Amino acid sequence: MLKQDRWLIWVFVAPGILLVAAFMYYPMIGTIIESLYSTSFINPTPEFVGLATYEKIFASADFRQIVLNSCVWTVAVVMLQNLSGFFSALLLNQSLPAQGLMRALVLLPWIMPGVVAAILWRFMYDPQLGLINSFLISLGVTDQGVAWLASGDTAMLAAIIAATWKGFPFSTVVYLAALQKVDHEQIEAATIDGAGKLRRLFDIVLPEIKEVIAINLILTTILTFNYFDMIWVLTRGGPQNATHIFPTKIYELGFGQFRFGEAAGYGVVSILVLALLIALYVLAQGSGRGARA
Amino acid sequence: MRKMLLATTVLTGLAGLTTTEASAADTITLKFWDNQQTESGLSQYQQEAVKRFEADNPDIKVEVTTIPYPEFQQRLLTAVRGGNAPDVSTVDQIWVAAFAEAGAITPLDDQAKAAGVKADAFFKGAWDSANYKGKLWGIPFNVDVWQFSFFNNALFKQTGIDLKSITTWVGLKAAAQKLTDASKGKYGVGLFAHKGEDTVVVMDSFIFSNGGKVLNDDGSCGLASEASVEALDYLQSLAPFAPKGIANASSGDMRELFLNGSLGVEFWPALEQPTLQKSKLDWDFVDGTAPDGKKPIGTYGGWNLVTYKSSPHQDAAWKFIQYLTRPDVNGSVVDLIPANVQAAKAFLAKNRKGPDRIMEHLNSAAPRPLSAHYLEVSDIEVTLAQDLFGGMKAADAAKKACEAIAAIK
Repeated sequence: MLKQDRWLIWVFVAPGILLVAAFMYYPMIGTIIESLYSTSFINPTPEFVGLATYEKIFASADFRQIVLNSCVWTVAVVMLQNLSGFFSALLLNQSLPAQGLMRALVLLPWIMPGVVAAILWRFMYDPQLGLINSFLISLGVTDQGVAWLASGDTAMLAAIIAATWKGFPFSTVVYLAALQKVDHEQIEAATIDGAGKLRRLFDIVLPEIKEVIAINLILTTILTFNYFDMIWVLTRGGPQNATHIFPTKIYELGFGQFRFGEAAGYGVVSILVLALLIALYVLAQGSGRGARA
Repeated sequence: MRKMLLATTVLTGLAGLTTTEASAADTITLKFWDNQQTESGLSQYQQEAVKRFEADNPDIKVEVTTIPYPEFQQRLLTAVRGGNAPDVSTVDQIWVAAFAEAGAITPLDDQAKAAGVKADAFFKGAWDSANYKGKLWGIPFNVDVWQFSFFNNALFKQTGIDLKSITTWVGLKAAAQKLTDASKGKYGVGLFAHKGEDTVVVMDSFIFSNGGKVLNDDGSCGLASEASVEALDYLQSLAPFAPKGIANASSGDMRELFLNGSLGVEFWPALEQPTLQKSKLDWDFVDGTAPDGKKPIGTYGGWNLVTYKSSPHQDAAWKFIQYLTRPDVNGSVVDLIPANVQAAKAFLAKNRKGPDRIMEHLNSAAPRPLSAHYLEVSDIEVTLAQDLFGGMKAADAAKKACEAIAAIK
């Protein structure tokens, strides 16, 4: 390439850089700045308050519940999605009749729009007309419908189940692709040496796909932590904040009550909490590798 | 080659700009945003009215955007904050104070005075909701009242309940008890406490009907008063006769049960009537419920028309607002009840069962607090409702709500 044409590289790369800067970094920096002001819709001249918004957030009882809810929600959904995804991938990796059809059917929850899935689950959980209660009553497990989404004791569990159903196909696809790359000669050799299925799984398959597991855990953690539509449609964070997580709280503050400064504060804190969750996981991975060494 | 490409791009852009500037001088395009809350085909009626307006005002073109109610607040707020507000829109009565405080909308006192637009042409509660800090910020467009008690005539006749008995607290509770048989999936009264404004307005109507208040005249919390707590106690006592899952149920959920014959009484404003008219249900309604000797007081709801300060077409916008709120037009461009009293009478006579009863309930309705912080108060009231139906004592739940209201800055 001639020296005078090197500017062409910047011409081609510049739009991408500008888009990322405009749609990712500018809003992020804007959010951090907004959180330092007492910005609300009704306050046309926002006042710089520094960290006062964060002090207010950390002091509120709501905040502690939201952090707890977010951690429970994220950890539970990620674990269940990854376990369900992995086991369904193991199953689909076998030679089964109508394998192609089964693989397509497994993807259906993932393809369905998030709001549609949430509305379907809301209907299924309905205490009067829902499928789940009808099923449990017909099995004799209960004689009356349970208000799954109206009780603080069951609402989060109900949301976790719905979210697991919605998201596990993503993990299935990831793990299926990883399983298909596992060296079959090693598995054959292990089989010949007398290793059973569990032994082959833990000693050959899992070590070979551990990087994929790590990446998928991080991805599903980020996606789940920021998952808004399922909880918003099911419960809007209720009852009595039992299912309120960071995304629903941010939406409620920003669009429901026009309190943009506080919403921005919650947004910044949510990124820090998520970063902490991922850091803890990466540390655990690192110490696990160290122990094995 | 590169220089030619650059030159062509610049020239094309300039040509486009010139063309745009030339056509803008001829016609004003007004952007009007409204929301739809019923299945009435509102967008079509508004388009027809707009065509008549455009015929009378050839220099003004109106672009109508009808947005479903659940999305309206978010989209409007985003547009206003982003500097892309329409020229005219409806705003909920409960948003007027916030929009005025934010400096987003134009006061209309001078225009209203010059045009002879007066308070007595509109329902008092609706006119009051458009006034904030001594200025007029909008013109009332439509109204409704939460709540009317719609009842299933067939179920009432089957159980031998006197239809009018449910206008009193004692009567409603007795009827609800008689109508409830959970083993058969039958319930007396449709209570709901999900996170939505419908939860607040129904709860408020019971509080108002007992003489209670949400906020006192001095802005302090009225929810912990004896009258308010008594109303909350009463609502809590109805819970055994309501479908399970009150804390996550909405008025829409209760409507589904009412339509399928599982519910004896549902609480809805008059806008429920088009849905019931399309159903096969044998239904009727009374004007809410109050303790013996007291008159049921509903909670005002509705929308006002405002113009935005950012609009470069203030005169055209005002012209359009005047047109939409004229007695001969108002009724044909709303899906709630026209806020213009004359238009409302004609609208109700043509479209609603029991027009006289609806007018009476409208005339006695009370508004929600007109405060720039109303949305925060509303959120606290939702928490109050969820605490109440979650088993907390009414007095304790009200005290907690009042503490939260006092902390609002």
